[in-house]
Amino acid sequence: MTHTWALATLWLGLALVATLLSIWLRIATALSEIVVGTVAQLIIGALIGSAVLGTDDSWIKFLSGTGAILLTFLAGAELDPAVFKIKWKQATGIGLAGFIAPFLGCTAVAYFALHWGIRASWLAGVALSTTSVAVVYAVMLEFGLNKTDFGKMVLAACFINDLGTVLALGLIFSPFTLKTLIFGIVSVVVFGVLPWLTPRFFKQYGGRPSELEAKYLLLSLFGMGALATWAGSEAVLPAYIIGMVLAGTVGRDHALVRRLRTLTFGLLTPFYFIRAGSFVSVPALLAAPMVFIVLLLAKMATKFVSVYPVTQWFGSAKGDGTYVTLLMSTGLTFGSISALFGLTHGIIDRSQYSYLVATVIASAVVPTLIANAFYLPRHMLHGSHEDVVADKT
Amino acid sequence: MIRKLLVAYDGSERARKAFNVGIEIAARFSAEVFIISVARPPEPADDVETEAILENANHYYEKHFAELEEAAASVGIAPHFEVLVGHPAEQIVHYANEKEVDMIVMGHRGKSFVERWLLGSVSKRVLSYAHCTVTIER
Repeated sequence: MTHTWALATLWLGLALVATLLSIWLRIATALSEIVVGTVAQLIIGALIGSAVLGTDDSWIKFLSGTGAILLTFLAGAELDPAVFKIKWKQATGIGLAGFIAPFLGCTAVAYFALHWGIRASWLAGVALSTTSVAVVYAVMLEFGLNKTDFGKMVLAACFINDLGTVLALGLIFSPFTLKTLIFGIVSVVVFGVLPWLTPRFFKQYGGRPSELEAKYLLLSLFGMGALATWAGSEAVLPAYIIGMVLAGTVGRDHALVRRLRTLTFGLLTPFYFIRAGSFVSVPALLAAPMVFIVLLLAKMATKFVSVYPVTQWFGSAKGDGTYVTLLMSTGLTFGSISALFGLTHGIIDRSQYSYLVATVIASAVVPTLIANAFYLPRHMLHGSHEDVVADKT
Repeated sequence: MIRKLLVAYDGSERARKAFNVGIEIAARFSAEVFIISVARPPEPADDVETEAILENANHYYEKHFAELEEAAASVGIAPHFEVLVGHPAEQIVHYANEKEVDMIVMGHRGKSFVERWLLGSVSKRVLSYAHCTVTIER
């Protein structure tokens, strides 16, 4: 066990460094962990050897995979089901537009312009099709739009967009067999039963120090994850949908969500993001930077073309920088999960993985850096907050 | 004449000094007092972590606000408290506009080069864009 404990010490040490960097630089911990993973692999790999990090050890894969599952579950559980029930038509329309155009557009660019293989091109389309729910949420809060019908609907649309990404990831690359059918049927039953069973079960046996709720949720997530993997799909697919169907019950139990976050951020996601970062090849990125730039432009252009007209139709002020930020941002969670799925399933090679992760990070970071560099109070540029809010309601 | 006064509070020692100055001025002019704190999401905002940070910020400032409320009450002032989300300078300037305050009081925080590059100097930006008198407590 000495080797295991020593390796765990190394990983938690890297996680601590990443967290300190995220505090000092005020950046997302996930971003910091990916960068620390990349740098650690580069330095340790050059000095001692690339196997030192043990990224392929089964227990590291398990912790990393569990991190992705729990993070995806918690992301799904942030959905507001009440809003979605009222605005599902508009949310689905915008969400699908936000997913399909970048998905098809980035796939086409990867295939025709970069001459990637067809499966690698599909994977590029999936990885770059997301819109960051968190970025949209943060900007909505900043403008007070989260309380308007428009804001709530756009947020719900982001969940649909990410659902499209997760569905595409879980279904495109798996062969349609009897196993897929069984997985589909069991999923429908489980997703139907869980929202009914869970609150009743928690009411009867929950609220004790034995953390029954966490065990029950992990059982559901691991069980459906195992079934998805058996069917050739991806474990984060059922995790995200379980999060969404339990958003009205588990998602509203703030104490439980906080405990799950402690487990997720404290132990699991550092393994996931540092591992994801460790596979990024800096030499590959430096060798062909144009690939990264082409993918970034494709992502931004297709998002802009698909969602901007919809926001205009809803009465957004022309030239509103807010929407540009919203459209361009890729979620680190779903973007990196898609890319890592491609790498570990042999759909893309390490260079292609590096370009995709770099594009995911850049599409999340660049709009923010531009906004800060050319900072002006936004409400002065676009009229008062009330005007902006009134425009969108 | 100061009718409305805004204190931007971030929980630091300087912000506490700014609060004391603000309360002193408000008591002299019988001004209405607004105290705001700004929760800043990480950049880029990321799934799950953003919600966790905002919840944490609300919890943190609620505790501070209770203490400030008590201190203000001792000089007969009942401030309005609010936690906003976004870029601190933008939120402070906008809130001041919205409430038509006559003075903003805030602390000056020494930041590292990297922090200044990423976030800019909040006090400098408030000074540049505010429509009213700004007092920076050093």
